[in-house]
Amino acid sequence: MNRPLVRLSGITKSFSEVPANNSVDFTLYPGSVHGLLGENGAGKTTLMNILFGLYRPDSGKIFLREKETSIHSPLDAMKAGIGMVHQHFMLVRTLTVTENIMLGVPSSKFPFLDSRRVRDDIVRLSEVYRLNVDPDAPVSGLSVGEQQRVEILTALFQGADILILDEPTAVLTPGESEDLFSILRTLRDDGKGIVLISHKLEEILSIADEVTILRSGVVTGRTTVTADTTKKELTRMMVGRDVLFDFSGKKAPTGGVVLEISGLKARDDRGLSALDGVSLDVREGEILGLAGVDGNGQKELCQVITGVRESESGTMVFDGINLVPLSPKERIRAGVRHIPEDRQRSGLVMNWDIRRNLILKNYDSPKISGPLLLKAARIREQADEMIAAYAIKTQGGEEPVRNLSGGNQQKVILAREMGENPRLLIAEHPTRGLDIGATEYVRRCLLDRKAAGAAVLMVSADLEEIFQISDRIAVMYNGRILGVVKPEEGRNRVGMLMAGITDTNEDDRKRTAGTSADAPSKSGRAAGNELNPGEPEGELR
Amino acid sequence: MKPALKKIARASGRSPSGTSSPMKQASKKIAPISGRASFGKSFEAAAGRMWPSLIAVLLALFLCGILLALTGHNPLRAYATLLNGAFGNKNRFAETLVKTVPILILALGTSVAFRGKLWNIGGNGQYTAGAVAAVAVAVYVPLPIALRIPLSLLASLSAGILIGGGLGLLRAKLNANEVITTLMVNYIMVQLLSWLVNGPMMDPEGFGFPQTPLVPEAMKLPILLAGTRLHFGLIPALLTAAAAFVFWRTRAGFRIDLVGENPEVAAASGVKVSKNIVAAMALSAAVAAFAGWVDAFGLHGRLQENLSGDLGTIAVVVALLGGLNPVGITAASFFFSVLVVGGATMQRFEGVPYSLVGIIQGLIIVFIISRVVFDRFKEARRVRNLVR
Repeated sequence: MNRPLVRLSGITKSFSEVPANNSVDFTLYPGSVHGLLGENGAGKTTLMNILFGLYRPDSGKIFLREKETSIHSPLDAMKAGIGMVHQHFMLVRTLTVTENIMLGVPSSKFPFLDSRRVRDDIVRLSEVYRLNVDPDAPVSGLSVGEQQRVEILTALFQGADILILDEPTAVLTPGESEDLFSILRTLRDDGKGIVLISHKLEEILSIADEVTILRSGVVTGRTTVTADTTKKELTRMMVGRDVLFDFSGKKAPTGGVVLEISGLKARDDRGLSALDGVSLDVREGEILGLAGVDGNGQKELCQVITGVRESESGTMVFDGINLVPLSPKERIRAGVRHIPEDRQRSGLVMNWDIRRNLILKNYDSPKISGPLLLKAARIREQADEMIAAYAIKTQGGEEPVRNLSGGNQQKVILAREMGENPRLLIAEHPTRGLDIGATEYVRRCLLDRKAAGAAVLMVSADLEEIFQISDRIAVMYNGRILGVVKPEEGRNRVGMLMAGITDTNEDDRKRTAGTSADAPSKSGRAAGNELNPGEPEGELR
Repeated sequence: MKPALKKIARASGRSPSGTSSPMKQASKKIAPISGRASFGKSFEAAAGRMWPSLIAVLLALFLCGILLALTGHNPLRAYATLLNGAFGNKNRFAETLVKTVPILILALGTSVAFRGKLWNIGGNGQYTAGAVAAVAVAVYVPLPIALRIPLSLLASLSAGILIGGGLGLLRAKLNANEVITTLMVNYIMVQLLSWLVNGPMMDPEGFGFPQTPLVPEAMKLPILLAGTRLHFGLIPALLTAAAAFVFWRTRAGFRIDLVGENPEVAAASGVKVSKNIVAAMALSAAVAAFAGWVDAFGLHGRLQENLSGDLGTIAVVVALLGGLNPVGITAASFFFSVLVVGGATMQRFEGVPYSLVGIIQGLIIVFIISRVVFDRFKEARRVRNLVR
């Protein structure tokens, strides 16, 4: 290939003695999408923050177009043609797209603004790269995907030919992800160099030309992505061992209905309708995957089932008992347990130690509480048992959970919610933000519960996860269950339902039209994925 | 960087109300001290957590020393006089303990609300209410003394429960900021007391002094140390501390701690947040009113204007300095009595203005809060490093 755009050589960066990057080499060529793959905490973002001038490396050199450069600040980086799209967007919500893009760019008509010229440029760039952004729209009214495109546009406007995207699909629907990828392909074909930070294998396989894999700050693999590249291969480099992604063969016959919901309606915090007649049932010994883009009522559904949100109408029957009039406490006692979406906010008391966090749900049971006092010795023993049983990495039961890593925090919740053999387990995004090792562990735990006869309702926006361990998949859209499908029916069907499309004929018609937006499955090209074979590679090239 | 910030915001805890006062922040870091489950260890642990408070105190004393030197006093002599004033003889030491009694009980009461992240600063009002109820029963109810004593106690506690529970209800149902409401009730109670002793409850044989008749001699608490004012109230004060120590290890204490730390988690764990807000406020105010009852029969024997002085404010400082745990609060309340009693002596013999005690109070608060800020910086750095 031609001259590299970026060459990082021997980059080392430590934070209070802990190396985040250890003599990392990285090369980005023009006209390619370079995947930067690794678990959480592997040092991907650190490396790119160094390139973007947010951190100074302890040692190592940065070459831009084969010229050694030192980048002291993001401003330097932008001047050198580097643009970064952060995980959290840096946009002013009350300003329009044009105004946002103008921020931080010197005006040619100083001291006045040259809004018109900027606006024209935006329109032109937007057309060239098919970004489809309205320059006059206020950012507050844009969807997440649109906001991301504004970020990309900002970078392009500033003349970036090196574009860094930090976990860009984490906030997108499968359809939006596919849109993003087609934009990235256009940019690549225009000769830009793109770095895609990700921990999602399918994503890397479907879009990247090359991939560099980091593990604990060290490069553990570097390869070009071909049709033969497999997930297993990448995983091994990422985790250092084979992770068993195959959870199949676990399909046991399911039992009777544990939870039956019908016509459930509820409002969200703003008083708007969040559940618009939800009906579903969860059976003994099954995992019902609840797929859907975030914000379609999944959160409210879980809250109504656990009792922290009131329903307006509809019925919930749990093992033959009417659940609606029961208090949250009574539901907990009846065996309804919950792994919340945001473990730090609604799952754990961050300032408390592990011991106290473990008794939140049963502090008043005779096991934990005597007639007057809580049983300190019992609480201590229980914590020690749970720490051992769930392999929680900690210095001891009296360590505050805020000191634990995300995975270990989640294990504390698992131990608490699964310890007493729940009858119904609601798992909300149980692996969100966890690394691959912890993710596997959590999924195994859910399967264990299922095998023990629990009914598991798993909410997830991650199709990979949904398909891996669900026995049935219910898709939620706009406060309703649009359909319940078998995993064998394929991702396209679920992806369509997630986008609110129920009519499969329409689906077919659109597919033949052949635009990229019609393939909501983000893993379309994932090697070894028989569900979705032979989608054309680089269709926009 | 953003996720790091978010994390800190979470780690530092959210409070049920949206406002954020420095006091609130102060006890955020202090609150985690909330009781451990183990009895034996907690004494040790409490002592271990005491040293930051100790440093705050030493720094405050040191800075005040400089201030003393600048104003032409010999700081060492001033402090020596202060100590002498608090411990110098039997009488002075007794006075120090007499002062400890209401401060300790009030601070324990304050800490109940604080651990629920409810900023009850109405100690003065609740103390006053307790004293008024006690004296009213003692003076006006024509029952045998043996019945009047428990009745007066009941009246005091009820007054506290009514005020605290009422304000708790306002907080829980209407989200009325308890800082404002408790403060307002302070004014109401102080003015009410003033009206009572100048009007309906004024002693008819008191030559027009704004005070009530004395309570019956038989109802007064016995003197513990002959020749001093040290009264039996010290025992219930220490018992209250012991009760608080036990309380934080019961289910009810656990619930209040939990609601204070994270109401969302509390709700998800089946704990009724509103109910516990009301309960914490009611208990907090009832304990404060109990302090009024003890002082009414142990010390004052009657009602006078401005009975509470600045006890309520001192109680807030003591509760925070004591890390909201009963052991720490007991130590801190004794320390503050030394300051208050010794400070008065210092003024008399050294000509050092009593307001120095106020300055020390203020500085201690400043240092406790800066410790929180310092911890946050450390936490921010730690989290940032973890995230990368």
